Amino acid sequence: MNYIRADQQAATMAATPFTTGGMSVLGKTASESAFWNEYTETLPRERLDALHLQRLQAMVNYAYHCSPFYRSKFDACGLKPADIRSLDDFKRKVPLTDKSEFIEQQLAAPPYGPTLAMPEEFVAHHCETSGTTGKPLAIPYSMYDTVRYGESWAYGYWALGIRPSDTFYFAFGWGNFAGFWSAYWGARRLGCRVISGGGLDTKGHIQAIMRMRPTVLISTPTFALRLAAVAAEMGIDLSQSAIRYTYHAGEPGPTALPAMRAAIEEAWGAKSGELLGIAEIDALAPGCPNGDGVHVNEMNVFSWSMNPETGAEIADGEIGENIVTTYVNNAQPLLNYRSHDLVRRVMNCSCGRTWVKFQGSVLGRSDFMLTVRGTNVYQTAVENLIGEMPEVSNFYELVLTREDENDIMTIRFEPANAFLDKPEHWDDIAKRLSDRIHDALHVRLRATPVAPGSMPRYELKTKRIIDERPKQFRRALDR
Amino acid sequence: MEMETYIARISEARAGLRGLLRDCELPQIEMMLRNADMELHMALWNLGATVPLRPEAEYGVVHLVGDERR
Repeated sequence: MNYIRADQQAATMAATPFTTGGMSVLGKTASESAFWNEYTETLPRERLDALHLQRLQAMVNYAYHCSPFYRSKFDACGLKPADIRSLDDFKRKVPLTDKSEFIEQQLAAPPYGPTLAMPEEFVAHHCETSGTTGKPLAIPYSMYDTVRYGESWAYGYWALGIRPSDTFYFAFGWGNFAGFWSAYWGARRLGCRVISGGGLDTKGHIQAIMRMRPTVLISTPTFALRLAAVAAEMGIDLSQSAIRYTYHAGEPGPTALPAMRAAIEEAWGAKSGELLGIAEIDALAPGCPNGDGVHVNEMNVFSWSMNPETGAEIADGEIGENIVTTYVNNAQPLLNYRSHDLVRRVMNCSCGRTWVKFQGSVLGRSDFMLTVRGTNVYQTAVENLIGEMPEVSNFYELVLTREDENDIMTIRFEPANAFLDKPEHWDDIAKRLSDRIHDALHVRLRATPVAPGSMPRYELKTKRIIDERPKQFRRALDR
Repeated sequence: MEMETYIARISEARAGLRGLLRDCELPQIEMMLRNADMELHMALWNLGATVPLRPEAEYGVVHLVGDERR
């Protein structure tokens, strides 16, 4: 290879004008767009479906040839890649995959077993699920997987109003939790400044936020409220901080629970957004700017809804389990993956996006859904009603037990601050909460007050469901 | 610019990068070119273009089930 002459280089550098005047991360036209990618976020349905078919065929072919797990799974049912000629073929012929299958294979041959679809030298980042539902799932990502995963967050950030000039504050210890690593990848993609809260405690986070003046908070929704409560005890009003946006994932948040959105936005004086992610799949559905649901990122995943009991496809507008295929985790592909998330798909949204919307985000879990005297009880429906009761604090649990062959859900809650020293009111609050749920959902749940401060405080996912049913009635991974 | 033209121009840029990648002897620069190609592949993907799942597939780098290099 010939070397470039030094005198030629010097002449080129001297002739290059340099100015910082008018510099910005993006050009003016792009900066003013309401969409991160208006072209694909508003593609007509027929075009999206045609793209999905091409990409699903490619995914089946890739999984068959590169993933030992899927090769044996497809061979077991006689499926060949050429068998997929339509979206219906894909939904009906490609067998469902459940998390438990993956975990079993990984436990037998750690860390990834036959679920890995490329040589380990291509794995650029290792994450794990939070393990709140049992044994953690090991998740390998290639470099490209992490970049595409980050892009999913960027759609949501942009839709909420976050721009490259914003500064992110990450209020959590990093660990191997994919949710917020991917949020970080997204902030990098958007070109924003990043400040890590690292291993600080709650008070340390608050002091850092006041000192460094970030404009975007990333945390679980309940931790955003926890920060606000501790700040109040410290005499700090976080609505006076520089935070203008809060963005959340990891548990039902602002698009699923309007009361929670109101509480966060009031405490922080900020606009609050949310993204639905599944660590092993993608940050698959960024929040709608209308604040009432999330849009499936149809460039990164394919999704359809299934009746969890019969396996039949559920029509748009009805509640069903989200079955999802990722195009973007190629290190560990997942096809027709059972999310166990119950969602209501809608195809039209006033925001202009054509991507499928999950109205109200995740409404509950197929494996935590209770049927009490013939009535389906969804977690978020109960949580929304709890959120409407100002006498009840944000510290509550939904406890599942089994009595006389029936599932029972009991709401265990700490009363709100105003009632901390008025225990004589607690039983009355519990009764009114139970009545309110009965009026709205036509099912009687028990409500039990507990001593203030007695429930655990979480930095990451808050454990809302406490399953105390006998093992045979619990999810396999929780036993 | 029409989207088809835009997609064609990005595809041309990728073709140019592939030529450079073939001849590259410097690990640092090869990695940079690969990253640049990855970004362009993603741009095509996010414009709905027909491209393979991964850019490596276009260099003939595939790792099949049963392949000893896996």
